[in-house]
Amino acid sequence: MRNICRYILFCILAGGISIQATAEEIIAIKADRVDTVTSGVIENGIVVIVDGRIKAIGNDVEIPETAELLDMPDKTVFPGLVNPSSRIGLSRPATGGPASNPHYRVIDELYPHQDQYKHVLGAGFTTIGLLPGESGIVRYYSGYGYIFGGRPSPGITGQGAIIRPTGQNPQEMIVAESGFVTIYFQANDKVNSVIKSALDSAKSKTDSTDPKVQPLVDALQGKVPTFVMCNLPGEMLHLFKLLEPYDKMKLVLLAGTETHLIAKELAKRKIPVILPAEINFERNTLNRINVPRMLAEAEVKIALKPESDNVGGHEDFLRKIAELVKSGLNREIAKKAITINPAEMLGIDYRLGSLDVGKDANLLVLSGDPLDVGTTIDKVMIEGKVVHKAPLGETIDE
Amino acid sequence: MSKKHIRHIVLILLFISALSMIFINSPLSAAEDVTAIQGGDLYTITGGIIKNGIILIEDGKISDIGQNIAIPEKAKVIDAGGKVVMPGLIGVGAEFGVIGYPDINKIADSLDPFDFSVSLALASGITTSMVSTGRPSGDSPIGGITAVIKASYGDVDQMLVKESVVQPVMISNRDWLRKTTFKQNLREAQNYLRKLSEYQQAKGKNKAAEPKKPRDLDAYFRLLRREVPAVIPASTTGDILAALEFVDEFGIRMVLANADEAWIVAEEISKRDVRVIITPRQKRRPNEDISGPSGSTLENAAILKKAGVKFAIIPPSTYFETWGVVGRDMMALPMEAAFAVSGGLDEQTALEAITITAAEIIGVADRVGSLQVGKDADIIILDGHPFHHKTFVETTLINGKVLYEKSKSIYFAHITND
Repeated sequence: MRNICRYILFCILAGGISIQATAEEIIAIKADRVDTVTSGVIENGIVVIVDGRIKAIGNDVEIPETAELLDMPDKTVFPGLVNPSSRIGLSRPATGGPASNPHYRVIDELYPHQDQYKHVLGAGFTTIGLLPGESGIVRYYSGYGYIFGGRPSPGITGQGAIIRPTGQNPQEMIVAESGFVTIYFQANDKVNSVIKSALDSAKSKTDSTDPKVQPLVDALQGKVPTFVMCNLPGEMLHLFKLLEPYDKMKLVLLAGTETHLIAKELAKRKIPVILPAEINFERNTLNRINVPRMLAEAEVKIALKPESDNVGGHEDFLRKIAELVKSGLNREIAKKAITINPAEMLGIDYRLGSLDVGKDANLLVLSGDPLDVGTTIDKVMIEGKVVHKAPLGETIDE
Repeated sequence: MSKKHIRHIVLILLFISALSMIFINSPLSAAEDVTAIQGGDLYTITGGIIKNGIILIEDGKISDIGQNIAIPEKAKVIDAGGKVVMPGLIGVGAEFGVIGYPDINKIADSLDPFDFSVSLALASGITTSMVSTGRPSGDSPIGGITAVIKASYGDVDQMLVKESVVQPVMISNRDWLRKTTFKQNLREAQNYLRKLSEYQQAKGKNKAAEPKKPRDLDAYFRLLRREVPAVIPASTTGDILAALEFVDEFGIRMVLANADEAWIVAEEISKRDVRVIITPRQKRRPNEDISGPSGSTLENAAILKKAGVKFAIIPPSTYFETWGVVGRDMMALPMEAAFAVSGGLDEQTALEAITITAAEIIGVADRVGSLQVGKDADIIILDGHPFHHKTFVETTLINGKVLYEKSKSIYFAHITND
């Protein structure tokens, strides 16, 4: 709610300034295909953008006289991609024992001036959910009951942020200030008690000035989503038990590679899941399994993210999605899983994730179908401004 | 209210009760949740072998067992004709189902019903294990926690049977400090318990203060109250005899693990009613520096049996392994018992060592370890004698639910006995 208020306030202010300073900035895009994701594909579609927001969309839309017309008869327009959970551009998180740090804000870690963000933008990502603590890429399972390798500190890891990968300072990159609360869960009595006591301390409160409590109050009341990272399907069963008393929480699960084993439980509880876009092996075999497909078929809402948290992972992303579709993932679900679904999980679907009237004009101009491996990204637009043009890596400064 | 009304009400009530009687007594309604295993040779362990028998399972428990039992019409029937049916095996220490986070205090919070070793346990016929985590650290002789769990794949609520079933203790001939600490702490705990009971008996009669409870001795209190046995690894005669001192002095219950030389002091062990965990094929060189007998023997189990010592059998490795040397891990538990048979042990006792005796040692013999009415329906169906090298587990049930079928297994489905 606070977010929305802030946003409305911002709109009013921004509107006021623009009226005073310049006239309305109107752009009209005419393309062969406009894929809205939420309401189908519009052939020979027109998108009218006024001051960075979509004013009208359709194929019999009137193009205002003052509009700058971008006529692209052989292109496809698609919403900008949303990566709901990433640590791109951030350093490795500290390791340690279970802890509760809800006051920790990932935005304070941000280094805006990094090439990585330009490349990610060039790969079509216009929105990124930044995670404190852990990248949320979980693909290892316990072999013989043991977890290998050093792991970051479990518990309540802090507050995530929703950013656009362009801007000169953190404030320019932020899409929404108070993003979401993140938890790194382990099925372990010590982690259990750390999480439980932190949540219980916030449970009876409605408002608090304590920075260690307020984020949890918002999370418990469902004002902000709570992202929970959890490695093993068996651990998720423990997680459901732990969080059972906090029923208003909006949970989003950052899950590992074997999540299909508890698809029914997730569908029953209506918990959306973020998965790495990859085909996996059934454990200890060479049998390949398409976990996103299995979850989608069990009617679990899924979002897909790059399988590795670097530039390469982001650049490969659409090809990986195409691979998942090739091996059975529903095409429409796949498209939603990289746009509107992650936007919904981040709680920002009222602004992002599809091409609809009133939403930010975050869009990609593609040479063809987004899931065709030969397709190139010709332009990336954020709020009506072209921020990237092919060839890859060449970013346009205003 | 008129008399007519009352009569109506009485009639209706009578009708309802009659209906409910019909439903309660009807075999049809009761049979909804019945599973029957039909036609196999039932190795009951505690009640001999029932040829061509029938087991009925209701609510996850064995409700009837024998030869001439009527199978309810609606029962789900599992055909075990020509097969061997026996209780699920118990692998003491078999490692499955626990996520290996360090320093946990509660195994129940770290159970993983999707652990791959859980599926391998089911494929190996092992339905129950005593898992442990942590071990004594520093100079402390005690440490680590234990729990008895089942291999109930996918169902975390069915996994835990019992927590803190034994107290792991580490003392050794070569480590005088640990043995000293163990003895001193037991004495301190014993003193406290004695003073406490004196105080409680004399309560109100004199003004003596309540004795102060020593810190960190809870584990010792449990040992002294005989709530749990101490499990002490003791492979040599010297270690075994040193451990037995504690039974003599404190009357605690005890299980000796890795007891390779137990055969030498079998009578001493038997006298004190101490249980033993052995690995029959384990080799230990005789010690040429000492006079009496020493070293391992394949006859260990047979000699212990003759002396009246109860023992469980485990293989050299407590993991489930799909690689490495075949036949020395938990996937070959019956083979380890067969080693004892080749050392002169009778088959019945060898079977008991991987079922009912193992269950007794870990304190769950009231629920698992044999085919008896009232026990959990943890049952395995084998395609041959349990000790035959060609025998495979065909079906595994836990709490009456079929959790493993060889015909659908990714590892074993293609192997046939033809």
